[in-house]
Amino acid sequence: MGPPVRIGRFGLYAFLVGMALFFAVPLLVVISTSLKSLDEIRHFSIFVPPSSRDFAAWWKAWYAACTGLNCGGVHVGFWNSVRILIPSVTLSVLAGALNGYALSHWRVPGADLILLALLLGAFIPYQVILYPLVKITSTIGIYSSLPGIIAVHILFGLPVMTLLFRNFYAGLPDELFKAARVDGAGFWRIFVSVMLPLSVNILIVATILQTTGIWNDYLLGLIFAGRENQPMTVQLNAIATTSTGEIEYNVNMAAALLTALPPLLVYFASGRFFVRGITAGAIKG
Amino acid sequence: MSGVVVRGLAKSYGPVRALRGIDLVVEPGDFAVLLGPSGCGKSTLLSAIAGLDDIDAGSIEIGGAEVTQREPSERGIAMVFQSYALYPTMTVRRNLSFGLRVRSVPKPEIERRVAWVSELLQIGGMLDRKPSQLSGGQRQRVAIGRALVQHAKVFLLDEPLSNLDAKLRTEMRVELKRLHQSLGATIIYVTHDQIEAMTLATRIAVMRAGMIEQYATPDVLYEQPATLFVAGFVGSPGMNFLSGSIARGPVPVARIETDTIPLDGYPLCSSSDDGREIIFGIRPEHVSLADHGTRGALIEADTLFIEPMGADTLGWFQYGSQRISARLPPQRARGLSGKVRLSLDIGQVSLFDPITEQRL
Amino acid sequence: MRIRNLAAKTVLTPTVLVMLVCFYGCAIWTAYLSVTRSAMLPNYQFAGFGQYIRLFATARWNVAWTNMFLFGVLDIVGTLGLGVLLAVLIDRQVRFEGAFRTIFLYPLSISFIVTGLTWQWVLSPTIGIQNFVRELGWSDFVFDWIVRPDRAIYTLVFAGVWHQSGLIMAIVLAGLRGIDREIWRATRVEAIPSWRAYLSIVLPMLRPLLVTCVVLIAIAVVRSYDLVVAMTGGGPGYASDLPGKFVVDFAFERANIGQASAAAAVMLGSVLTVLAPYLYLELSRRDR
Repeated sequence: MGPPVRIGRFGLYAFLVGMALFFAVPLLVVISTSLKSLDEIRHFSIFVPPSSRDFAAWWKAWYAACTGLNCGGVHVGFWNSVRILIPSVTLSVLAGALNGYALSHWRVPGADLILLALLLGAFIPYQVILYPLVKITSTIGIYSSLPGIIAVHILFGLPVMTLLFRNFYAGLPDELFKAARVDGAGFWRIFVSVMLPLSVNILIVATILQTTGIWNDYLLGLIFAGRENQPMTVQLNAIATTSTGEIEYNVNMAAALLTALPPLLVYFASGRFFVRGITAGAIKG
Repeated sequence: MSGVVVRGLAKSYGPVRALRGIDLVVEPGDFAVLLGPSGCGKSTLLSAIAGLDDIDAGSIEIGGAEVTQREPSERGIAMVFQSYALYPTMTVRRNLSFGLRVRSVPKPEIERRVAWVSELLQIGGMLDRKPSQLSGGQRQRVAIGRALVQHAKVFLLDEPLSNLDAKLRTEMRVELKRLHQSLGATIIYVTHDQIEAMTLATRIAVMRAGMIEQYATPDVLYEQPATLFVAGFVGSPGMNFLSGSIARGPVPVARIETDTIPLDGYPLCSSSDDGREIIFGIRPEHVSLADHGTRGALIEADTLFIEPMGADTLGWFQYGSQRISARLPPQRARGLSGKVRLSLDIGQVSLFDPITEQRL
Repeated sequence: MRIRNLAAKTVLTPTVLVMLVCFYGCAIWTAYLSVTRSAMLPNYQFAGFGQYIRLFATARWNVAWTNMFLFGVLDIVGTLGLGVLLAVLIDRQVRFEGAFRTIFLYPLSISFIVTGLTWQWVLSPTIGIQNFVRELGWSDFVFDWIVRPDRAIYTLVFAGVWHQSGLIMAIVLAGLRGIDREIWRATRVEAIPSWRAYLSIVLPMLRPLLVTCVVLIAIAVVRSYDLVVAMTGGGPGYASDLPGKFVVDFAFERANIGQASAAAAVMLGSVLTVLAPYLYLELSRRDR
């Protein structure tokens, strides 16, 4: 032990730092460009830090950026996304919790089949059922509307949420459930008084998973939300891909940052809950 | 064959001192057992000797060479882990040969060693199976085999039998003893089971709270325990401990309850004062029912209850304010009740200082 | 004690119904449409495999279909490779582990739209890397893959690997941490160097986990839409098109339900092809 090990460790850290740069630099570039003036962007490379911090582009992105049709800025999309997010997350998490609970201890006939069906459903690409869904939602009358997009988000969240909660509740000791039943509690009573209090962590995980997924959604919002309810991601893409005149990179980048900011903040605040969320979401509970 | 010499070994985990100044000499060919309750530091000591954990102070020599700074693979040791640690995705054959192949041992030599170990441990039929397809006992033998193919100087075993059921444990104990005798290897073995220690070891180090309380052969440990802890830990059923005091005189005597028990023949240190408090230790097999004409110290006690244990029966008696147990032949124990007279074999007594817990 | 699970059944019924109708019913509907003569409007006349023949005769679809494999293989290899490498390195007990993990994982919290746009800007010849290197002095430096029809699809790999390696790292790291520590100690006693231990012992122990990761990335590739839209818009022209985008474009912009359904059915088939052996292995493994 001595020099060979130290070189090895040094190389390890060097590589990790290099990788950290690979991951961090694109974001840093976007941040720094958003703080530059167009003049600066034209004359200097985006990898050069800004000469001074100018939030003008951010202001413009928020209030005045143009999506080709109107120039209201992304704040419109922001509030749309919020209005879509809150009901969708609440209802899909709740639905997942209830379904997961029902499938865990209550020995429903065919539970395994249902779980398998959910697992498969989680893998179906949106595109496969997109057109039929459009037909169904327009028949019900919720196509291209806020209730429509909320319903669709709940629908696509069902498999992962149910599996997540089901695996969690199945991991709780059976005795808890049995003791409550011996005490005379029924389905709802046990859920509210026994299961929910124990579920705080998994509820946080599920909420983070759904919040990130729904906020970052593009395709479903584009198709089902309707013109007045377009989420921020849709607006962002529209802004960044309109090519009338000179491209205002600083504004586009500011808009991108504003769109990325809410889930990024959730990410930085939630630490291991986020990690648990995405790994559980990936491995389907 | 190599010996192991440990000097002044100390290790702490933060504020917890896991090992406090350990000195240990294992002669070549010894089967040294580190015995003690959980948390006493025996596994820590083994890991330190193996080089798997760093130490804070002290030195370790294996086969005469100073190895304190060396990696485990450079110490000439082989280890059998409590959970066996067999490589799950490899067959038994690969498990045995992998370490050798990494060290570039020539193929014919590898095959020779694998064949030798398979024969020795009767694992030839399992060579192409994976660990998950083997039973606990079979996995254990493979783990031992993997240690043996290394041709190490010293073998370290960390509670290898603790995951086996009782019957298998007894069988494997015999196997291990046989292996030791035929190979003449130097072995350091960790266990909390004193029966294992007593049957397998040539020398036992009884450990408590990071220190070795006594390091001696099983006989000495049993008959002349150095501390109260060793006396109570070794031997089942456990030694009786009675409180009393010493009185000097023409013949030193022990005063216990209302009796005066002569201690002729007991090698008392001269520093024992008159009236000094002592703990009087005597094993149940050295307490017997007094027949007419029995010699030795006699006491009177009330029968409390009888514990049948198969070949023997343990009788419990109330002696004044203390309890004493005696090993009795079942026939005499049956129907025993009321006051009895017990005879104590003074030649087998151990006296301890109640405060220092050292032998007097 | 007979469990009265009426309430449970009642709660589950709407879910089961919705699943059946929306997921499975709709999938079957799409599959059915793919064998009809639908064009702009659904036409339920049976047309055999006509739609599929037309589909595979369409240049744009062939490009998209080939792209899926080009992008997919590179994305899987890159994401898995980098993810495993990062997990292994962090498993070596590095300091600042928390900081490294935070940096490697944050791309997962942002939308694929943001990722796509960011990498579009970074790889843009006018303001991105090519521009930067030229400004440094190499005035002949060329890195304009993103606007070249023959190279555009590969640029998606950068963004894909950047976005998802962190997920693989998190999954594999959790797996590595679950390895019995005594196995590591055994390798130290046997003089097995760490890299060899990872390669021959530890990573093979994680094989089921790694297969899961491959399946995840593969399915994400099949579904890709947001990333292509934001990064290249499928261009130049349709050079970087992918099946996921093809379906949506043909269903809504080009209003050709028949072709869109056929393409969607092919997507579904791809997912099932990846999924079927995996699920079979997983389920039989769990039963054992």
